[in-house]
Amino acid sequence: MSSRLAAKLAALWRLGFAEATAYRASVLVWVLATSLPLISLVLWRSIAEAGPIGDYDQGGFDSYFIAAFLVRQLSASWVVWDLDRQIRTGELSALLMRPVHPVLHHAVFNLSALPLRTLLAAPVGLAVLLATRGIVVADTALLLGLAIPAIMLAWALNFVTQLAIGCLAFWLTKAAALYDVWLGAYIVLAGYLVPTSLFPAGLAAVARVLPFHAALGFPVELLVGRLSVAEALAGLGLQLGWLALLGPIAAFAWRRGLRAYGAFGA
Amino acid sequence: MSWRRHARIAGAQLKISTQAALEYRVGFWTEGVVGVLWSLGGVVPLVVALDHRPDVAGWGFWEVALLTGFYLIISGIYAALLQPAIAASMAHIRRGTLDYLLLRPIDGLVSCLLAAFEPWSLIEAVFGVALVIGAAIQLELSPSLAQLGTLALVFGSGLVGLYALGVLMLAVSFRALALENLTYLMETLLDFAHWPISVFRGPLKLVFTFVVPFAVMTSYPAQSLMGTLEPHALIGAVLTAAGLAAIARWAWCRALRGYTSASS
Repeated sequence: MSSRLAAKLAALWRLGFAEATAYRASVLVWVLATSLPLISLVLWRSIAEAGPIGDYDQGGFDSYFIAAFLVRQLSASWVVWDLDRQIRTGELSALLMRPVHPVLHHAVFNLSALPLRTLLAAPVGLAVLLATRGIVVADTALLLGLAIPAIMLAWALNFVTQLAIGCLAFWLTKAAALYDVWLGAYIVLAGYLVPTSLFPAGLAAVARVLPFHAALGFPVELLVGRLSVAEALAGLGLQLGWLALLGPIAAFAWRRGLRAYGAFGA
Repeated sequence: MSWRRHARIAGAQLKISTQAALEYRVGFWTEGVVGVLWSLGGVVPLVVALDHRPDVAGWGFWEVALLTGFYLIISGIYAALLQPAIAASMAHIRRGTLDYLLLRPIDGLVSCLLAAFEPWSLIEAVFGVALVIGAAIQLELSPSLAQLGTLALVFGSGLVGLYALGVLMLAVSFRALALENLTYLMETLLDFAHWPISVFRGPLKLVFTFVVPFAVMTSYPAQSLMGTLEPHALIGAVLTAAGLAAIARWAWCRALRGYTSASS
């Protein structure tokens, strides 16, 4: 990476951080909105009071949903709403004039809000850690090490999906509403409300190969030590596979969309 | 006189948005059908729980179906009537064009709550009514007139509670910018209205009964139809709704005083 690009990215990072701080109320609402695994935790732990459900006992649910909260915070992205607005209002024109690719701009902006998000989420997470039996993580360094790329790939998957759907705003007026459709499926199928391994067998088999599970359930299960090394590697491969499929779609939509955008004379 | 004017504007808004919705027929799929599918998708965790247990906190399969029916009604009303109005009003606040709504010859808050509708989402509510009737037949319920009266009272309280929360979101958005995601928070939170209130314990149970009263919106109506709603729960529901409505009205008036339009 050339030092000039690095300087630009550092400037963007500071800008993104400042913006996140300015809109801290909004960031706080995001943190709250993504705290729902913690409500699921309370719910499932009371259902599991009479005995374990599948291979999850109360402690198992505690670990799973605390990890889900953590992964959700670290893999969050909101480029679809930003892009939707920028295309609709023409703000994108200003971004196109800058010496950094707009997609890179958004990626840095999303990442630079992470420290503040973590700071706001930390008290919530800490309180839950103290109130429950805490989190039991994978017991080998190798599995924990694999969880790091898994979380990074989960972020990339969220970002690329949102980018692809956000690009539809070049042609449609309600691209963000289409993302709600994706989000509805994500909430049910990603292991956000219940671990997908507890689904009825047929549904579980389908859900576990979909990109929703790759973007949340898989890194969570890896983090709490429910996967073997072989399963972890297979999961990472699946994440890369979805990324290899969704990435080109997003890139294609971006390039075609930009042409349509220019055609409006904006 | 004033009541009739309010009703006329509400009717006009409903007519305009229905006409717009009929023009935009793809909404039947994107808002109506998808709305029903996704709300039913939210039942998956309950199905999982029922797969491993004979009942969820005392609620069997058809009781859960009854509950889901009420959920669909609430969720459909939220998506069709409340959420679009709140989102439109928030956009007006951000742009400083709320004056257009406030200048109408009706109450400012009512004007905001009538700002926009998305009628296709009502399909979800219709589906919910059908599910409630179907589940009631399966459970062989024959509710007495008193039980139906209780149902109306409790469900009305639930709706008042839902609207009060919407107004509170609106009031907060006067203070802090970029809070469109508040409606997103509400939508995801609404997912927990799928569950019978008896699943929740401790502080969360209090929150979902009195602060974000999902119990009043879905569990209590189902219980009142089954005749298992305790009288003190009924009184609690009415008081909760009244309290939330009062707080929402107060917050709205306070927030409006601080509103400076785009020009001033």
